[in-house]
Amino acid sequence: MTTETKQIPCLGALCACLCAPVHKPEGKYLDTLPGLTAILLAFLTLSGLVLAVYYDPWHAFASVGFIGHEVNNGWLVQAYHATGATALFGLVYLYLFRAMLTRGYRAPGELVWGLGVKLMAVLLLVGWLGFVLTGGAAAYWSLFKASNGALALSGAAGAIGGWFFGGPAGSGTLARLELFHAVLAVGAMAVLWLLFAARRAVVPRAEPGQGVAFFPYYLAQYLVALAVFALIFSVLAFFTPHLGQPAVNALPADPLTLPLGTVLPWYLLPLAGIAQALPGIWGGILGVVGALAVLAALPWLDRSGPAGAKGGLYCVFTWVLAADVIGLGITAAARNYPQASLLLVLFTFWYFFHFLVLTPFVTAIEAK
Amino acid sequence: MAETAATEAFGQGTESRRGFLTILTGAASAVAAGAVLWPLVDALNPDAQSESRARMVVNVADIAENTAKTVQWNGLPIYIRKLTAQQIAAAQAVVTDTLPDPADFTARVNAAYQNYVVVVGLNTGITCALEGNDPSDPRGDYDGWLCPCDGSQYDALGRVRSGPATKNLAIPRFTFINAAQIRLG
Repeated sequence: MTTETKQIPCLGALCACLCAPVHKPEGKYLDTLPGLTAILLAFLTLSGLVLAVYYDPWHAFASVGFIGHEVNNGWLVQAYHATGATALFGLVYLYLFRAMLTRGYRAPGELVWGLGVKLMAVLLLVGWLGFVLTGGAAAYWSLFKASNGALALSGAAGAIGGWFFGGPAGSGTLARLELFHAVLAVGAMAVLWLLFAARRAVVPRAEPGQGVAFFPYYLAQYLVALAVFALIFSVLAFFTPHLGQPAVNALPADPLTLPLGTVLPWYLLPLAGIAQALPGIWGGILGVVGALAVLAALPWLDRSGPAGAKGGLYCVFTWVLAADVIGLGITAAARNYPQASLLLVLFTFWYFFHFLVLTPFVTAIEAK
Repeated sequence: MAETAATEAFGQGTESRRGFLTILTGAASAVAAGAVLWPLVDALNPDAQSESRARMVVNVADIAENTAKTVQWNGLPIYIRKLTAQQIAAAQAVVTDTLPDPADFTARVNAAYQNYVVVVGLNTGITCALEGNDPSDPRGDYDGWLCPCDGSQYDALGRVRSGPATKNLAIPRFTFINAAQIRLG
């Protein structure tokens, strides 16, 4: 940081902020997860802008094929965007799971935790919209079910659904969903920015004289984390560009023929499993909203208090919950065996049981 | 530790080991960022189909003498006319100084293929597609093209001779690949 840069006012303020020795040393590499998420969101925005140049919602499937076959490096931009979505949910799920394991959601981190859950909720919607935009058979099936379900509702819910989808699923539906996809992605960035601000407000600062500056200490840490992330991303993008995407989505949509195996991308599966386990449209909606609500309510369901001991038993139950969520996803993906419905109900029951019963009791007992 | 101190003492700025590592890391990062971002930039370049449309190859061997064919290129009507020997002689005989937009014969045709005239078939006054490609079309008084909209008249080389228009017909960028084919663009 030379004197020249300090003479430019905004750069000077930035330098002062980056060079202020206020951070505690020995930060964890996984603390970089929100930072990596921000970088990845910017990258997804760039690749999404390029795709939007050629994407035509009125001929969605054909234009996706055109991008892959005709546009210079279009296949790579598609792989960037699809793998970006996979990596984004990988980062967000890992971030939330780590906060559950380390119990970082407890006071004063409730707001950070709530914003993390909100970020995941917005990104799930953005991810679903992006999946629907591909216009393939699985995407059409999902849109068809969602829009028909929304229109079948009565009262205000049906009116909101009608406004969102603009009537039954057709070519014009994708034109508006493309816009919602982009706007909500910007909304996700705003939520992430709030998360950064909330985290900065509660993160413990170093004692005077014992802290280190972001530049160069934590910048180096970020670069190492980014390099590791980029390696994983490259392997996924180049070896499995369609990871977690249903294969039938490579078929064009035919409203009169819905092929078997029409499932969602991997990151939507656990929530879809909860929605499928509960009866009716309202059951599905309440299941999704409830699953996110109990997750957001975790700081208050945990009865151990801000300074309470971190018990081993609750840690085990958190790992069990992770297995439960993975089980939900796997079962929702492969529903063609008779026990699947029962398994979905069991996994869903355990999910809510974990948050509403186990969490308050086990944490209260362990805090004693 | 002693070694680090020695390095710090000997090297100043970019000459130290740390400076070298900084440059190495920065260079590697720049290469990586460029490699990641280049596909995004390149995706906005014209694709192969647009490139080939922008560099269109036209067969001119099938044009009869004294007629012109029309091809659409980059949204423009391109008139490719094959002159008769008589028309070439007549065009060469014109005294160019008397024309509204003076241009001599060599400025309007390719030196090696003097019997082909390639022009943008739009009137240079008000924009309007010209008539006169077929010998049976009205061609005006100069055996060239006539504007049906404002009555401007052009000769066989596309030079304006009368009417509201004051500029000669535009000549698109083109090259002769051989005697039978030209490439536009």
